[in-house]
Amino acid sequence: MRNLLIFVLGSVALIALPYGLSFSQQEILVFLVINVLLVTSYRLMTLTGEWSLGHVVIMGVGAYASALYTKELGIYVPVSMILGAVTAALLAVLLSFPLFRMKGFYFLIGSFAAGEIIRLIWKRFREPFGGVRGISGIDPMPDFSIGIYQFDFFEPVSYYYFAGFIVIASLWVLWRIEKSPVGLTFHAVHWQDKLAQASGVNLRAYRTLAFAIASGFAGLAGALQAHYVGTVNPNSFDIEVMVFVLTWAIVGGTATFYGPILGCIVLTVLNEIVLREMGLEQARPLIYGAIMILSILFLPDGLESLVQKVTRRKSAPKPEEKAAT
Amino acid sequence: MIPKFLTSGPSRRTFLKTAGAAAASLGFPRMTLAAGEPIKIGFLAPLTGAVAAWGKPGLDGCAIWAERVNAAGGIQLADGAHPIEFVSYDNEYDPAKARTGATKLIREDGVKFIMMLGGDTWPGVQPVAERTGMLFSTLLPSDLSPETTTLVAPAEVHPIYNVTGVEWLAQNKPDLKTAVMCAQDDALGLPSVATYLAAFEAAGIEMLEEPLLFDPATTDFAPVVTRLMAKNPEIICLDTCYSDYVHPICEQLFQQGFSGQIISCTADFYDQMIEKTSQEFMEGFIFQFPDFDDPALNSDAINFQDPNGFYAEYNARHPGQWGAVSWEYASIMDMWKAAAEKAGSAEPDAVMTAMKDGRGGHAFGEADWWGKDLFGIDNALVGDWPVVAIENGKAVIKEFRSIPDWYNRHGDLLVKHMEAYGQMWNQRG
Repeated sequence: MRNLLIFVLGSVALIALPYGLSFSQQEILVFLVINVLLVTSYRLMTLTGEWSLGHVVIMGVGAYASALYTKELGIYVPVSMILGAVTAALLAVLLSFPLFRMKGFYFLIGSFAAGEIIRLIWKRFREPFGGVRGISGIDPMPDFSIGIYQFDFFEPVSYYYFAGFIVIASLWVLWRIEKSPVGLTFHAVHWQDKLAQASGVNLRAYRTLAFAIASGFAGLAGALQAHYVGTVNPNSFDIEVMVFVLTWAIVGGTATFYGPILGCIVLTVLNEIVLREMGLEQARPLIYGAIMILSILFLPDGLESLVQKVTRRKSAPKPEEKAAT
Repeated sequence: MIPKFLTSGPSRRTFLKTAGAAAASLGFPRMTLAAGEPIKIGFLAPLTGAVAAWGKPGLDGCAIWAERVNAAGGIQLADGAHPIEFVSYDNEYDPAKARTGATKLIREDGVKFIMMLGGDTWPGVQPVAERTGMLFSTLLPSDLSPETTTLVAPAEVHPIYNVTGVEWLAQNKPDLKTAVMCAQDDALGLPSVATYLAAFEAAGIEMLEEPLLFDPATTDFAPVVTRLMAKNPEIICLDTCYSDYVHPICEQLFQQGFSGQIISCTADFYDQMIEKTSQEFMEGFIFQFPDFDDPALNSDAINFQDPNGFYAEYNARHPGQWGAVSWEYASIMDMWKAAAEKAGSAEPDAVMTAMKDGRGGHAFGEADWWGKDLFGIDNALVGDWPVVAIENGKAVIKEFRSIPDWYNRHGDLLVKHMEAYGQMWNQRG
């Protein structure tokens, strides 16, 4: 009953949320929702112990693929988004052959190199990738009506509902994967790899599986972004954007499912809304950097550790209850 | 909720193209001004990050422009005088943030006109422009296309004006016959490469090898310069490299002993380049952006208001920060103000109509609305452009040259090279 109440209240809050925001904040909300999917998919990848620097490029693969499927083949936008995600996942499987010959730091550098190769391919081949200018005029999500509500996907509120639905469904799938035996095996591959291998777990296969699933959802995030903004170019998926994803994950913490989401929301609100509203637009990189350093110094386990402290305190038995036991 | 009639019709795209202005009046509340109320102008450009050098100095220039105009009584419209107020949004040269910024400026701040750097950020804003009918300006006319009639390029016709520098060089230093070129491989670099190739071909200067395109992430320019110098060229062309590239490339050219001619689109903060190399090395460096204390700008043909005073004020407030864009956004505002006063209104459609009525008062003289061949629409203002050379450590305007004259003689070459680099408006992705 309690869970149902939380679900209902949460749903109502998410539906009502954009109406409490300004137009530009609604726009930021759309990108925030997409970035939540990006960073959560990244966490799935890190469950196996591997940190990649190519995740944003993989997001770009989904964006480019979905844009090209609609532009060149005339595929219906929602279908092209799914195909974009599948393309990103398949490319991840291909990349896994060279990349999973490496581990740890070497994998990190290898994933960066792979990402740069993909970006150079986008830049070099004007056909079909549009070269350095990328692809513009990407078809938007077609408008439709559900009777009581007219979805006009130029409007951020409509796109927020659409993207929000997709992202919540994706988060639910990612959550179920993590809690399934497959997810537990991902943890084992990270923390007890020798033991897992001795138990018959194919480490490389599970790493590849995590990489492919994470890439598929990152590709979906890219497709959602491409059909909203209407353009993709190689610079939108460069290492600078990847640093933001890493920052969200590190500042939020990766021990829990909600850690990176918390990091993404807090840092985005801080950077895109609070600092801009305070008139500190041009000082944002400096302040953002300082806050990041402070949070790493004083919250080494991420923002999620704050939540854990609060929830632990609430669930801890009161002294009289302790004495009774 | 969005009224159904806004999105019904043959198709969304057709609707947007044919009824953008109508949608603007229905979906986006038009903010009317009371007499004396400030008119807000949007400034949507990179103010932080790698491309900030082509945004931030422009905003600083606009602040000076607004103070001067407001001190002189503001802008005179049909309903009286209004002061001007700039509202900025840092788009970080990112199309998604540019879209957010355009939405904020139009729907929250009620701006009447938005100035942009353009480039990578324009495609993110284009749907907003088409939907709202807002008047936008860009510094990069390669953003122009027939799809968006409310985008103009009234300050600079980058990179077409680069032809004037090459033409001047060929006429004044006819012994120089061979050249090489390097550029960053991006949306600013490539159309400029095509333009310089056309200009060199028209001037009879031989390119010793294909232009060397380097990745924008490049930080070590020693190998780039070594390769440029390998064939012993008489001219090294730095295309439209960002100042973050021009400076280290010049340092490397100096260190590796180059003693020939350098030509570049920009030489922002050239005093720092002289410090890093030498006055002798930088002597004769040709580029396209003058200091505004140049006496040549006091001619009656110049439309920019009090260029020498503007330059002095700018340097007093931001010493050492004068760059290519410091005056450009302010010069666009001169044009916008003249058009708004002519129309008696600050509404985007009225200003646009007044702006394009006849010839335009470009900063460097009267100019024509042009661009159909290259951009598919005559929304770029083209006239004369200065050729600047560094002499005794100071930028000096050598001559003003006509871009349309060059184009009338060599336009086919420009189209040929633009097509080869996929830079024509109908070749964009």
